[in-house]
Amino acid sequence: MGVVGMLIRIALSPQFFGPIVFPGLLTVLVVLLSIIWVERKIAARVQMRVGPLYVLKPLGGAIQMLADGLRFFFQEFIIPESTDKLVFVAAPIVAMAFAILPFAFIPVAPKFIPYSVPYSMPVFLGLNTVIPLTILAMAWGSNNKFSIQGGIREAYMTMAYEAVLFIAAYAMALLYGTLDFAEMVDAQGIPGIILNPFSAAAFFVAMIMSAGKLPFDIVEGEQEIVAGPFTEYSGIAFGLTMGIGYVQLYGFTLAFTLMYLSGWNPVPAQLYSIYPALGGIMLFVKAYLLLMFIVFLRSVYGRYRLDQALRIGWRKLFPLSIIAVFFSILLRVIGIV
Amino acid sequence: MSRRKTGLKEHLEAIATGIKYLVKPNRITVYYPEETIVLSERYRGMIHYDWNKCISCSLCAMICPADAMKMYRKKGEKKARPGINYQRCIFCGYCVDICPTNALSFTRVHDVAYEDREEMLYPPERFTQEWVSPAEKEGAKKLKVVFDEERGLVHEPE
Repeated sequence: MGVVGMLIRIALSPQFFGPIVFPGLLTVLVVLLSIIWVERKIAARVQMRVGPLYVLKPLGGAIQMLADGLRFFFQEFIIPESTDKLVFVAAPIVAMAFAILPFAFIPVAPKFIPYSVPYSMPVFLGLNTVIPLTILAMAWGSNNKFSIQGGIREAYMTMAYEAVLFIAAYAMALLYGTLDFAEMVDAQGIPGIILNPFSAAAFFVAMIMSAGKLPFDIVEGEQEIVAGPFTEYSGIAFGLTMGIGYVQLYGFTLAFTLMYLSGWNPVPAQLYSIYPALGGIMLFVKAYLLLMFIVFLRSVYGRYRLDQALRIGWRKLFPLSIIAVFFSILLRVIGIV
Repeated sequence: MSRRKTGLKEHLEAIATGIKYLVKPNRITVYYPEETIVLSERYRGMIHYDWNKCISCSLCAMICPADAMKMYRKKGEKKARPGINYQRCIFCGYCVDICPTNALSFTRVHDVAYEDREEMLYPPERFTQEWVSPAEKEGAKKLKVVFDEERGLVHEPE
């Protein structure tokens, strides 16, 4: 025992294991490396081609992203003369930090919660709202016309999804009578997606908008504005900016699973008895499947224009989320939940 | 302009189509360096020049719309012979068509890369070289394209 035992105890404590191992940093890294490959492979299959292949050919190029990531690491990180240097360098790091921070408030398994607060749902959503600000900072710091255009698009997009995201989530909070993810999972006899499909639909689209994934990658706008706010970035900072969207999306899929897909239930009892965090395996599987479905949508939809996205946000999703609130109230009044 | 209405039904249809292709992929590309497609007899690839058939009429140089073909004459020699510059060539085939003795002909090789621009210049002596596709030289599997009523283009081993 002694020092080693203490270190193991710290490593296995929820406060450390949650943010660092699962569902936090290490799992995020694995998800990031795998999901981009999965995305490219799915898109390739639907579009009648092969996709990444030559990096580790027996597995169909499975470590393509590892190769790309290594390249980012050893590439020169150029800081242009005309940029606001402090903002330019700090913004992607802050953005990544705020994309990973919400994982501290995601419960992994029954009675295995990194930071048990009664308001984990609003804290999670609130931390995610910081990311658009950092993207605006990147755009401003870059001192580039494409970057600032992308930044303004981000500001507009925030208008489109932020209200919907919060109202849809609060509809579920109203339904379960709690603002805590863990208690929400316990309250779900029937999965939330069946109880309140309006809220699920609104939250689903809003979270894709929030992460800026196709069909809503308006901020990046590869075809029009190079890479939007990330135009001036190179090397590892570019890798960070590319990762933010995926990390955010992974966080949102975990939240979606907890709120609508009955979270970690059913818990495999044997695994749970070995170590509580292993009981969260179902949570991860569900979230990952959802993530795969979202990246699959890329190959189905064309990109929406900014005005179309705003129209969807305010004319379709906003009323839908309001309906979801009233539907939740109705369910409570009838007494189904 | 009439706007097509997109409701829930259309979205579901789109997703179903995507899933159909995901589950039953219909790949129309080939693994290139390991497999190559056998091209048509009349494919317009790199041009081959037959030294002995040429009568030095210079019609090819005259017809060339991109000024890729030029006549080269060595000092002391009477006959001029054509050379080609692949930086300019647009593979229109006029030179091959107009050649009265069929000294110029198309090959089925197109997968050629150059390291510098000087290499793309072919004076008459180099112009006579035989073309071999690098993929076929490495022993690539040859596939032929067959039209299938249901799937569209299908590749079958030759």
